[in-house]
Amino acid sequence: MTSPGGPVLEARGLAREYGPVVAVRAVDLALEESDFLTIFGPNGAGKTSLLGMLGGAMRPSRGQVLIQGQALSYGDVEWRHRVGILSHRGFLYGRLTAEENLRFYGRLFGLSDLDRRVPARLARVGLENRARFQVRQLSHGMRQRLALARALLHDPDVVLLDEPYTGLDPSAATVLRGVLQELREWRRTVVMVTHNLSQGLELATRVAIQVRGRFAWEGTGDDIAASGFEALYHEVVESEGGARAPAGVATK
Amino acid sequence: MSRYMAQVGAIMWKDLVLELRSRERLTSMGAFAVLAGVLFSFSIDTASVRTQDVAAGLVWMTLVFGGLLGVGRTFYLEAEDGAFQGVLTSPAPKDAVFLAKTGANFVLLFAVSLLVLAVFALFFGVSVGANLGWIILVLGLGSLGFVALGTLFAAIASGTSMGETLLPVLVFPLLVPMVVYGVGTTDRLIAGRPLAEVEGNIRMLGAFALAAVAAGAVLFRFVVED
Repeated sequence: MTSPGGPVLEARGLAREYGPVVAVRAVDLALEESDFLTIFGPNGAGKTSLLGMLGGAMRPSRGQVLIQGQALSYGDVEWRHRVGILSHRGFLYGRLTAEENLRFYGRLFGLSDLDRRVPARLARVGLENRARFQVRQLSHGMRQRLALARALLHDPDVVLLDEPYTGLDPSAATVLRGVLQELREWRRTVVMVTHNLSQGLELATRVAIQVRGRFAWEGTGDDIAASGFEALYHEVVESEGGARAPAGVATK
Repeated sequence: MSRYMAQVGAIMWKDLVLELRSRERLTSMGAFAVLAGVLFSFSIDTASVRTQDVAAGLVWMTLVFGGLLGVGRTFYLEAEDGAFQGVLTSPAPKDAVFLAKTGANFVLLFAVSLLVLAVFALFFGVSVGANLGWIILVLGLGSLGFVALGTLFAAIASGTSMGETLLPVLVFPLLVPMVVYGVGTTDRLIAGRPLAEVEGNIRMLGAFALAAVAAGAVLFRFVVED
């Protein structure tokens, strides 16, 4: 982190439209070091589009993203260095080994200590014994752990996670939880989109419910109990005209 | 500059490793080259047509059609697990991505062009020995121009529902100058004509290849960016 004190990640009036469809409406947010924002919301709320714009993978229709006070233009290379993205797709090449995938991305990021960094990252996600396996030979959970190692390989200041727990078995979910905990300890800024209430609230310092492209509700993690939040979630979604989800699930 | 070249090298290495492990494109292009050479050799009546008079045209047609089989699938493996999105959200500039993918495609197509030349030398009895080096240079320049345009338009086609079907429609009209100069030059070199007769054509092929690479490097970002 290079400038402690101010917001690490800011969005000002961020909006995205697909023709006549408005996916994200004028979202403002300001996250500081160690902030962990979890975004819940029903299907089609625009959560993935918002994450795409925050990560520089998607061009905003309007608005601006700032990292450590610096306004970024779409395609800015500096943006790529500061943000790590874990999507529900792993961005991995099936015919490359786990180690080759990380080395490949390491070279794209200009990292010079790959001989040390790659084995360490594989060990952190419990894949040190799978380093020479091609990704297509790995289970879904292993791929997701490797994708996590890829997203964090360059030590980004801001980490964006889109449904990171999807398809993970309990042991893989435990590894992911441990890495996310470390991100908080290392004072990284995290934005996570999920529809699992308990996993989403576990590490969150801030919570938002996104409905129809805008933050319909925002709060802090400290004053939210999972039991009370579920009722709140349904109330907010229904009041905004969204469909009611089954109990325990904040449908993406 | 060294980081830029490292990024180009990393993507080229990745593309070539993926191809060597899957062998999808090399197999289809190589098989096409051999089959085309065999079929052409059966279909031409050597009693009325001298093979060296038509060999250059057939070499280039085989190269263009065979090349489309491979270049058209440039972004096929990239779609797997959203991998190309990972490359696009990395710090690698888009022109570096284009140059790397063009470079990898060039290595594959140039290898196929040598195979095509060998097949036609074998089945058509074409003597290329005297100007072999120049013929290889001409095929190399043609391959470079072709893969530069092919890579750019394969990126466009991969984003459409028509996919590979659209690629020939987009690329063929732009390949006409390259094919005209390439066939003419190869024909004269096979006939053993003096180099002075084809120097201008070789320069034109080189200019076409460089222009295609430069245009592709500039335009690629508009094709792949959101």
